[in-house]
Amino acid sequence: MEDYHKPDQQTVQALRNIANRLRINSIKATTAVGNGHPTSCCSVAEIMSVLFFHTMKYRPDDHKNPNNDRFILSKGHAAPVLYSVWVEIGFLKESELMSMCQVDSTLEGHPTPKQQFVDVATGSLGQGLGVACGMAYTAKYFDKSSYRVYCLLGDGEMSEGAVWEAMAFASYYQLDNLLAILDINRLGQSDPAPLQHHVEKYQRRCEAFGWHAIIVDGHSVEELCKAMSQPRHQPTAIIAKTIKGKGIPVAEDKMGWHGKVLSKDMAESVMRDIQSRILNSNKRMYPASPIEDAPPVSLRNVRMPSAPNYKPGEKIATCKAYGMAVAKLGRYNERVVAMDVDTKNFTCSEIFKNEHPNRFIECYSAEQNMVSVATGCAARELNIVFASGLATFFTRAYDQLRMAAISDSNINLCGSHCGLSDGEDGPAHMGLEDMAIFRAIPTATIFYPSDAVSTEKAVELAANTKGVCYIRTTRPETAIIYNSNEDFHVGQAKVVCQNKEDQVTVIGAGMTLHEALAAAEQLKKERIHIRVIDPFTIKPLDAKTIIDHVRSTRGRVITVEDHYYEGGLGEAVCSAIVNEPGFTFQRLAVAHVPRSGKMSDLFKIYGIDRDSIAQLVRKMLSSSANAK
Amino acid sequence: MSYHKPDEKTLQALKDIANKLRIHSIKETCASNSGHPTSCCSAAELMSVLFFHTMRYKANDPRNPSNDRFILSKGHAAPILYAAWAEAGFIKESELLNLRKIDSDLEGHPTPKLAFVDVATGSLGQGLGAACGMAYTGKYFDKASYRVYCMLGDGECSEGSVWEAMAFASYYKLDNLVAILDVNRLGQSEAAPLQHNMDTYKERCKAFGFNTYVVDGHDVEELCKALWHAEQTKGKPTAIVAKTFKGKGLKGIEDQDNWHGKPMPKDRAEELINDLLSQIQSPNKPLHPQLPNEDVALADLTPIRLLTAPEYKIGDKMSTRKAYGVALKKMGDASPRVVAMDGDTKNSTFSDIFKKAHPDRFIECFIAEQNMVSVAIGCATRDRTVSFASTFAAFFARAYDHIRMAAISQSNVNLVGSHCGVSIGEDGPSQMALEDLAMFRAIPTCTVFYPSDGVSTERAVELAANTKGICFIRTSRPDTAVIYDAGEKFEVGKAKVVRQSDKDQVTIIGAGVTLHEALAAHDQLAKEGVNIRVIDPFTIKPLDASTIVANARATGGKVITVEDHYKEGGLGEAVLSALGEEPGIVVHRLAVSRVPRSGKPQELLDMFGISAKSIVAAVRRTFAN
Repeated sequence: MEDYHKPDQQTVQALRNIANRLRINSIKATTAVGNGHPTSCCSVAEIMSVLFFHTMKYRPDDHKNPNNDRFILSKGHAAPVLYSVWVEIGFLKESELMSMCQVDSTLEGHPTPKQQFVDVATGSLGQGLGVACGMAYTAKYFDKSSYRVYCLLGDGEMSEGAVWEAMAFASYYQLDNLLAILDINRLGQSDPAPLQHHVEKYQRRCEAFGWHAIIVDGHSVEELCKAMSQPRHQPTAIIAKTIKGKGIPVAEDKMGWHGKVLSKDMAESVMRDIQSRILNSNKRMYPASPIEDAPPVSLRNVRMPSAPNYKPGEKIATCKAYGMAVAKLGRYNERVVAMDVDTKNFTCSEIFKNEHPNRFIECYSAEQNMVSVATGCAARELNIVFASGLATFFTRAYDQLRMAAISDSNINLCGSHCGLSDGEDGPAHMGLEDMAIFRAIPTATIFYPSDAVSTEKAVELAANTKGVCYIRTTRPETAIIYNSNEDFHVGQAKVVCQNKEDQVTVIGAGMTLHEALAAAEQLKKERIHIRVIDPFTIKPLDAKTIIDHVRSTRGRVITVEDHYYEGGLGEAVCSAIVNEPGFTFQRLAVAHVPRSGKMSDLFKIYGIDRDSIAQLVRKMLSSSANAK
Repeated sequence: MSYHKPDEKTLQALKDIANKLRIHSIKETCASNSGHPTSCCSAAELMSVLFFHTMRYKANDPRNPSNDRFILSKGHAAPILYAAWAEAGFIKESELLNLRKIDSDLEGHPTPKLAFVDVATGSLGQGLGAACGMAYTGKYFDKASYRVYCMLGDGECSEGSVWEAMAFASYYKLDNLVAILDVNRLGQSEAAPLQHNMDTYKERCKAFGFNTYVVDGHDVEELCKALWHAEQTKGKPTAIVAKTFKGKGLKGIEDQDNWHGKPMPKDRAEELINDLLSQIQSPNKPLHPQLPNEDVALADLTPIRLLTAPEYKIGDKMSTRKAYGVALKKMGDASPRVVAMDGDTKNSTFSDIFKKAHPDRFIECFIAEQNMVSVAIGCATRDRTVSFASTFAAFFARAYDHIRMAAISQSNVNLVGSHCGVSIGEDGPSQMALEDLAMFRAIPTCTVFYPSDGVSTERAVELAANTKGICFIRTSRPDTAVIYDAGEKFEVGKAKVVRQSDKDQVTIIGAGVTLHEALAAHDQLAKEGVNIRVIDPFTIKPLDASTIVANARATGGKVITVEDHYKEGGLGEAVLSALGEEPGIVVHRLAVSRVPRSGKPQELLDMFGISAKSIVAAVRRTFAN
């Protein structure tokens, strides 16, 4: 147990002074650039002062030191006060602060990892605490170190369900190294937040979700120091009652000031007023140094020690191959970790769990939080994270995925049960838009392996590929089509079936690649030969291989995909071959909301089965014959 | 009023029905050889009491507007819902055996192909939000006596959207809403995190403002009593936290792991069914649901038209987001059925213009986008309202699963996303929607409007109100000039050729801010004697392929698309898809190709290559080729 020593008066005054300097700089900067949220900064000035100059232990000159306490500003619109802290520390120059948000500044409107002291981008509300959970879980269970994680949330974002997913997660896993500070400044953007200043209601909600919750006056540095120093046996929430715009008389606790900057004149008078409250104190505040007990971690060169152990013709589902591959990769690097959303028996991540129980995190039915936890675990390159769920349920976390790209995160995600191949469960469970949404993530690599060998390679490549990696797997068993020693690369397609007499190129992936191969067999009997290409990665797509082969099949190309028409394989190919003269391009994809039924029936109904492919090939050939 | 215990006969009949529902669920899932019988069995008494004691509805007219509503949020228990409607007499018992078959509407999870399903479920944690929308509509719009019952599983209580809905329900005092939590302890792959810790569920529900009862979920009398108390409670929604056992009534299976989503083995089904049959005392005692108070008018389905044409003059400057607010207010003037909601961004999306004019028809949903979309869907069920929900376009990413499910629900909600693209400027990438077109294009029932001025925005809002399926309207932050005459007619799937001459050498397709950049490029190039054609697609889905193809041909097959969106899945790819097989057309695409940053809007348009400058350069490049 730590004993609490009340800070001496000099310290208290020094912390108050810092808070007021943070206010001054937040006002000055937002007025200078004519943009930002000064009132949202002013409510947290004392909180930031106490956190950064009294409570947190870190090396201010070494932001990424693994022993440092972590800080996440979930209410990202208060970025100027975070930047002001680093001005106060001396890391940033005041002049840099005064040009924030400009096109040549790395201090953006909301925090991004362009700044060393930012681990994850924030600004889409309600996401910080989930990331903090991932970091705290890593500290406690993987690093087994004493650094702590601090997350500052606004009251407006407490309406986001993602916050409560994270609250439930933190208490379930007893993350006693996690501290959330709730800035209850009463006012949202366009209205008061629903619970206004009812701090006792916040306390009750936090307690019901298994947290120790302490109500404090958020502008009292003494109360903050005391609350933050309390011993913890469970995650702690400090519910700080604050005033939005504190220190700006016209704006204090007033509606209509969210995201509004002060005019130059008003700013000057307010700053003078605040300045007058900064009392002489010779005391300089330095953050305490952290305990150096974090283990060294290297994520370089994570390789599979042996080739895949599958034989051609053997039948295995790619979702199962995924589970086996991650488990295998985990055998050779203890920093490979996995998580799931109570679907581990479907995605087969339970194979990993059975082999490496201490490195598996069950996130329950909370997909948003799982992606945030994954992002938190992967921050500072501490873990190679594989998070899995049904493909379609990543739609639940699309905002988190969008933010993961802005965060430069290297998470790996696996979505199983894609497409119609989910069969009887019906449309609610079929991922038919997942490629569209992952393609629109700028940092994403999309693997769509079609057999167990390529799935294992995809897992290995994903572990070593920067950015967000997505692996799309399928439920039904499919035949192994590659040799164990086949080499796979990101952005390199495979020509699975070719012949000099090929007349049409067919591109499929997953189930539809196997349908294309079956169509090839069928057509062969009619002496029609088709070339079949497996793109392996949908993004980046191997445009060169595709164009070369389409040319050699006289420009005829068909794509077939277990996905909606929009944004998937077909449009990716469309984008790759646009402006190639003389190409004839046809697409097969799912055009309507599908329904329950047997997979084979559904493939027929929605026209992505072998017969549909064969028929389209015939049609294409006869119409080009007619054209002659 | 005090509670009267139902007589013994009724209680026995309710118990018997519960066991009949179990038997049906076993038979259905055995016939389909898939499905979740154990998740049905835990809810058997709950379903029996709800459908044959508590709820008021016309069993032969499930969509009657006066009926109580029921939402099965734990959609995987679909077989017991179908069984209940079989017992109520709406579907034939023999039809139950067609569960999950390709030609049956009894799908794996409930969809509105069935008259007794208002919203599709099966993606967990979404039912309660839709129920909130229905209850809000019942209480505040319809001002009617129908009540809304939503059954949730314990697994889905991990979903944040459940707690968004809980907070909403208590904030708006939805005392006509009852959430029934089937706490059967077991999830899909392991026990749910709180197991049978009933106190924790109770504390959470109470902390979120619910009148809460913990009950034995297999005791029909306790259920009757709690549901009766729920009806008497004013000013608060009620949560009934029912302790149940997964697979209850199935010997050797009840409360056991590894039975999620597994039908009973063929060789044991008969024994299990016989065991349940033996507990049924009066197999032929029918119970009939109580009839509803008929205090709800039939939905008015007449189209809603603007009472006056847009009041803008060509050249007026205003943002399309503001034009949205003005248009929505006018639609509200035209029909009392138009309702609006927002996620605490109403002063940015300008839905506050509607709120000021029609405060009783505006729902502030606070910062909970998933719940806002669910509430909008709930409000729009049974055509009770025409709902418009707005927030920053980027934050619809938060609710994409809900939007996906809205398509399966055949919902007619209208969603409006402001602040699209890099043109918002200084706030930076977290606030910029650059993937929203990709998202909404991949929704099969969706119409995507991308208006470029005040007049077309107003018409987009009018069209959206009368278009089936999901409508998405993408609005922008910067002020732009009005380019259409107030009398201009707009149609879904009809593009406008905004600039043309006989000598046009390239067709430029832009929308929103980039249409105005294209117009600036047009003027600049005109000075150099180069003519370009400029097209405003108006709707991105459906896209007016024939206008685009015809104009592309007229300009020598040269097309440039320019969009404030990522390159994937947006306007550019929509155009490529539309041009499909057209030979001899060359398309250059200008779009944002990496994560952007903070800066001034114009600087960012330049930096990411979608400004007039970039268009001029691209036009010159096409000539160089």
